[in-house]
Amino acid sequence: MAIVGKSSQSPGFQRNRLLMTAVLVVYFIYTFIPILYVITAASKTNPDLFSTFGLWFSNDFKLWDNLHELFTIQNGIFLQWLWNTFYYAVISAVGAAIFSTLAGYAFAKYEFVGKKFVFALVLGAVMIPQTALVIPIFLLLSKVGLLNTPFAVILPSLVFPPGVFLMRAYIDEAISNEIIDAGRVDGAGEFHIFSSLAFRMLMPGFTTVLILAFVASWNNYFLPLVVLNSTEHFPVTVGLANWYASATAGSGGNLLYTTVMAGALVSILPVIIAFLIMQRFWQGGLQAGGVKA
Amino acid sequence: MAVIALKGVKKSFGNVSIIGDVNLEIADGEFVIFVGPSGSGKSTLLRLVAGLEDCTGGQIFIDGNDVTNLGPAERELSMVFQSYALYPTKTVRGNMSFGLEVAKLPKAEINRRVDAAAAVLKLEPYMERKPKALSGGQRQRVAIGRAIVREPVAFLFDEPLSNLDAALRVEMRIEIAKLHQRLDATMIYVTHDQVEAMTLADKIVVLDRGDIQQVGSPMELYDHPANLFVAQFIGSPKMNVMAAKPSSGGLAVADTGGTIPLPAAAPAGVVNVGARPEEISIVPEGEGHIRGTVDVVERLGSDTFAYVSVGGIENLTVRIVGNAASIAVGQKIGLKFTPERLHLFGADGKTIR
Repeated sequence: MAIVGKSSQSPGFQRNRLLMTAVLVVYFIYTFIPILYVITAASKTNPDLFSTFGLWFSNDFKLWDNLHELFTIQNGIFLQWLWNTFYYAVISAVGAAIFSTLAGYAFAKYEFVGKKFVFALVLGAVMIPQTALVIPIFLLLSKVGLLNTPFAVILPSLVFPPGVFLMRAYIDEAISNEIIDAGRVDGAGEFHIFSSLAFRMLMPGFTTVLILAFVASWNNYFLPLVVLNSTEHFPVTVGLANWYASATAGSGGNLLYTTVMAGALVSILPVIIAFLIMQRFWQGGLQAGGVKA
Repeated sequence: MAVIALKGVKKSFGNVSIIGDVNLEIADGEFVIFVGPSGSGKSTLLRLVAGLEDCTGGQIFIDGNDVTNLGPAERELSMVFQSYALYPTKTVRGNMSFGLEVAKLPKAEINRRVDAAAAVLKLEPYMERKPKALSGGQRQRVAIGRAIVREPVAFLFDEPLSNLDAALRVEMRIEIAKLHQRLDATMIYVTHDQVEAMTLADKIVVLDRGDIQQVGSPMELYDHPANLFVAQFIGSPKMNVMAAKPSSGGLAVADTGGTIPLPAAAPAGVVNVGARPEEISIVPEGEGHIRGTVDVVERLGSDTFAYVSVGGIENLTVRIVGNAASIAVGQKIGLKFTPERLHLFGADGKTIR
């Protein structure tokens, strides 16, 4: 009797397809609802925030007022926070991506004593949660006298083990050893081979690590919370949390809820825009034509 | 004076020996081909000459200088890789200029060399293209161009035609032969294809499992193979090898009940006899030295190959020029050998005569 296989026409396949789509829709809704809430909450007044339906706008559309409040309150400190977050994230992302690429290249393309052990260390570092590291980092920075400076946030963020892991795997695939050999025969030194030949072939991987490090830094709350204490150095995460704490503090506090929500809305926009802009670098295939598969 | 000399060169990875003791001299302008099956160490030997791997033992001399501890560029060699290894983010011109830019040659000199190589290889229409916009044959020519502009002491080729289709392979083979004549350059070429070896080489080095089996011109290897391995590696289709013993009147071929007469008495110690397909003729049954049955007939138009089984031996190959219309499957025929053209092998595989 001949063996009959399944194809995309079989009823079982369609059923599985529908099931998968349903699961994904549920997950999408779960992910999107908080964002929807932020958008609607940022457009309400404080009383409305607590009295109207959370997931839709109220009759009083106050988005522009809230935004105005956001950028003027406390002498425009929010703009300072936004700028801080931005340049911490950009410098950390670029630095983390460069170091990850250098390390990934070394692991992927060279043999050296202790390589397996060092790579195991990197893998181990990926698994350590950030919260476990923040106190030791605090003590380190304190000894060096860098607490409460931008370096306190940027320097630890330059170390990005997931990036090393990603780049090693990517470089292993993306760059053939023969191209490196061709560079050696052409007389280029190892770093020259890396910078003028290999690096351009790595752009999709590099961009991926860049974005991941950028988002990690942009969203980082715990590290800046611990190592910074002057408001002018705060990133948006710590700043907004500060406002929220003072809004809920003891007697009356400041009615800052809608301002916090407007701040939250503004703070997620740059990351979304960055993702959209960087999309064209995600395309692979940069090595096409260089080496016959 | 030898341009490239290898003395006692050895290579192992850990405990695994890849190249045994290799001694070789390559003269100026010679086209030398390292040939052998997969795993024979030919690519490793080439990489040792190139300087891409370090020797575990021995020395390499280029132009009389000991280059054993020098890197690839310092040895003044160029290499063409099996996968072309073009720089994908550079144009054809960029690929060819890269090595010269690294060497900090003046711009005018770089352009002169690149344009000259482009003219030789007919790459002028493609100079501003990136490798992904080129065909396989064009990419191969760019790889060769990149090697030419360095004006090296010798060119190294690592199976450059393996990735091309059959027709293109023949075309590029002829291009490489012409290039060798035009440049009069020393070339070391690695291939597993003995046809490329036979057609291109001045000198063939046959390798098996890290050891040199024989070094000689193509016809020397064809007519006088030093051992069983070389005899069966060179020549397509393979030489027929049958177990045989000296007997009165010549050689008794095992499993066939037949004897091949020899002009002189067979030396003692003969264990195998070899006959190339074109040195056996098909004659009517009873007229030949041994008799057999035709199993398969392959007709190529220019040649006919008959695969004959004789007694216990399967697949003796016989070549007939042209279309041998009279040969049919299942036919009982006799095989006649040419005694002067037989190859006799001892128990250690070495040729006795």
